[in-house]
Amino acid sequence: MRKERLETQLIYITVAIFFIVFLFAPLFILLMNSVKTGHGIGFSNYVSIIYGQDILIAIKNSIYVSALTALITTILAFILAYAVNCTNIYKAIKEIIKIGIVLPMLLPTITYGFAIIYSFGKQGLLTQLFGRELFQIYGFNGLLMGYVIYTLPSAFLLIDNSFGYIDKKFIIVSTLMGDGFFRSFTNTILRPLVGTLGGAFVIAFILSFTDFGIPASVGGTYSVVATQLYQVMLGAIPNFNSGSAIAMIMLIPAIFGVLFLNYLGKFNFHYDKFTNIEIIKNRMRDVYLASISMTTILSIMLIFLVMFITPFVKNFPYDMSFTTSFFKDTFFSSSIVDVYENSLFVAVVSALLGTALCYSAAIINVRTQMSKHMKLSIDVFSMVTNTVPGMVLGLAYLLLFNNSDLKGTFFIIIICNIVHFFTTPYLMAKNSLSKMNPSWEITGELMGDTWIHTIIRVIIPNSISTLVEMFGYYFINSMVTISAVIFLVTARTSVVTSKIKELQHFANFNEIFVLSILIFLTNIAMKIFSTFLHKKLSLMNQRG
Amino acid sequence: MKKIFKNLILCLMLASMLIGLVGCASNSKPQKVVIYTNADKEAVQAMQNSLNTAGYEGKYVLQSMGTSELGGKLMAEGDKIEANLVTMSSYFVESAQQKHKMFAELNFETKALEKYPAYYTPILANTGAIFINTQVIKDKGLAIPKSIKDLTKDEYKGLVSIPNIMNSSTAWLLMQAIISEYGEVEGKMVLNKLIQNCGPHIETSGSGPIKKVRVGEVAAGFGLRHQAVADKVAGKPMDYIDPIEGNYTLTESIAVVKKADTATTQLAMEMAKIIIEKARPELIKDYPVALYQGEVVTDVNKAGNLKNFEKPLTVELLEAHQEFFKAAK
Repeated sequence: MRKERLETQLIYITVAIFFIVFLFAPLFILLMNSVKTGHGIGFSNYVSIIYGQDILIAIKNSIYVSALTALITTILAFILAYAVNCTNIYKAIKEIIKIGIVLPMLLPTITYGFAIIYSFGKQGLLTQLFGRELFQIYGFNGLLMGYVIYTLPSAFLLIDNSFGYIDKKFIIVSTLMGDGFFRSFTNTILRPLVGTLGGAFVIAFILSFTDFGIPASVGGTYSVVATQLYQVMLGAIPNFNSGSAIAMIMLIPAIFGVLFLNYLGKFNFHYDKFTNIEIIKNRMRDVYLASISMTTILSIMLIFLVMFITPFVKNFPYDMSFTTSFFKDTFFSSSIVDVYENSLFVAVVSALLGTALCYSAAIINVRTQMSKHMKLSIDVFSMVTNTVPGMVLGLAYLLLFNNSDLKGTFFIIIICNIVHFFTTPYLMAKNSLSKMNPSWEITGELMGDTWIHTIIRVIIPNSISTLVEMFGYYFINSMVTISAVIFLVTARTSVVTSKIKELQHFANFNEIFVLSILIFLTNIAMKIFSTFLHKKLSLMNQRG
Repeated sequence: MKKIFKNLILCLMLASMLIGLVGCASNSKPQKVVIYTNADKEAVQAMQNSLNTAGYEGKYVLQSMGTSELGGKLMAEGDKIEANLVTMSSYFVESAQQKHKMFAELNFETKALEKYPAYYTPILANTGAIFINTQVIKDKGLAIPKSIKDLTKDEYKGLVSIPNIMNSSTAWLLMQAIISEYGEVEGKMVLNKLIQNCGPHIETSGSGPIKKVRVGEVAAGFGLRHQAVADKVAGKPMDYIDPIEGNYTLTESIAVVKKADTATTQLAMEMAKIIIEKARPELIKDYPVALYQGEVVTDVNKAGNLKNFEKPLTVELLEAHQEFFKAAK
């Protein structure tokens, strides 16, 4: 037992130091900067923000558009999850919905904006199809649309997952007891899902509120906090103190969100037994929901379709003859190859180190006799990382490491990614580890193995498929992120998403889309690889 | 099971070794020259072509950014900036030099027509002018403007587009024309009326106005003269007007950042020389202002009412003009 304590303590200290240095210290510096003024410490930065109209308007705009996004996304995600879980729609269609909805996650948000411009803009694909401009895309409309596409997958995954825990037997009981549709629907579906729906709303709100990619491409003159922050920090007259104050303000909705989520947690129902019961036949309902879902999925795909067409035609939309020259030109230019290599490198290392960190943190939390306080502190790390928006984290890193040797290195980008995306893989690991037989370590010890030996010989092999999943999560998110790294990349460490932002200056859409396809294909490959490995490993596990 | 696990560990070890190797490799290689530029696409292409033809392909990384973004970096970071070579609006280069003494003296002869400080030399010059969409002017029955002030008439309400000085240095050409012709007081009134006439057509990019005039969204705009000339020559319903307030000119220049890494700085100096010697013939096609001995510009491209800025251009002056613009709103 003594040995175990030494080893777990070593891991704990490493994890704790990591978070103190790379999460709390940067945030502290950010806070200090935000209260630093020309003459000592004070709140004048905040006061000037409140009096300065530009930023106040941006904050109002951000809140308004994010709240509307969250509302639309939650309703839409609920309808789609309902269609997948509570209807008799053909299995194939359900599969299409499930796969189609998560596809946008494989693309950086900055691409969404460009896809919208080329779908609905003056020369857009859909504009051509309909023969007129459907609506003004720059500003509010474009943002709303981009944010909904961006937040729909996360909201759907959350609600879909909760549907799995609803006991569908109650729907039958309710119907048998003669409840009307609304009563039955409210009691058996809505009530148990209140917590999840609130969660989906909060997540959609925070994601939109803090995203940088979509407003960077379609924001137009509708100013939002993320673009204001970027301008204040890296504009003509950079002001680090004002920027820090804006960043601190950006944290507020996220903190409220987390508090609200905890409050909603009380409403979560827990059923002990899940029964698989055939869903009541209702053709009208099925047809209706299937058409809504398929329209949603097709609309999303239609918007992204343009991305796969324009780089392959000579001069969209005037000369539609096929060409591969853009693809070749982009791909064979040395600068793009460099940038793509940078992205891959950052994603692979972030995924390797990130997975190792999350897994170690989860192991000492779930499978050791460490003190309650220590365990709680790790959960706190995870909560805090979940609260801090990528842009704020990136900015905090910029402030802390600006005058150090770490500035402009890959190291700093990788660390930023590891911290930024920590929560989800950590929870994945915790989940899978807590499901394993709690007596394995004791058995191992009785057989003469050290704790570390048991971990390596028994625990890790049993969670390989979770490890693969964690790796994939880190990899894909590192490939698509822009918010977190926009303050940290330099010309030498430029990644594909920051390159896309750069190409925006020249409105070079062909190259933008070629790069987006590159990211998309890389992530698809990653997805296929991890699904394949996952299947193979779980088969092997079953055989023993 | 065991085998798969062993393989996985092996893979991880290999991967970490590779990462280590990549890390070492990038340290022992000579550093690439980093070029920061605020230039347009055409200018960037011309510079890259000259460098690649001279055999420097793969030896540099070029990073484009907006004028205000690059300006912010220069003023905030000084010689700590990542770039070894910078091309930027000349006034910004001068202000950054004053503040940080960050640029090295150029070690090559340039034969420039005018005299420039030893630490920079221009790569191109932009000239401002009014341009109109002749078709829209005809359809709406508007009088053809002769001055910027003409665009403030009521008949032009909602039909003018100008760049925003908060983001675009092209807008400075407009501010300067208004201030030097009408002075601060009357100038503010002129600008106020102009801004009102523009409505939603105040563009963040210098080439925003001409795009709007070209598609007929507005009747007239202010921007870079050569773009309108090119449109007219190409047969579009466009015309350009040299305003009585004057055509002002802004140059963009190249400068080498002084760094401790002398080998890379030397390489950057060589590249600067190549750009000035080899890229100018291509650059002058898109930016037709003669800057060096022996350069010829066609008559249509010669602005009719060239004027020079009265005060030396500095970032402080730009800030003052930005304030002037904000106050006129």
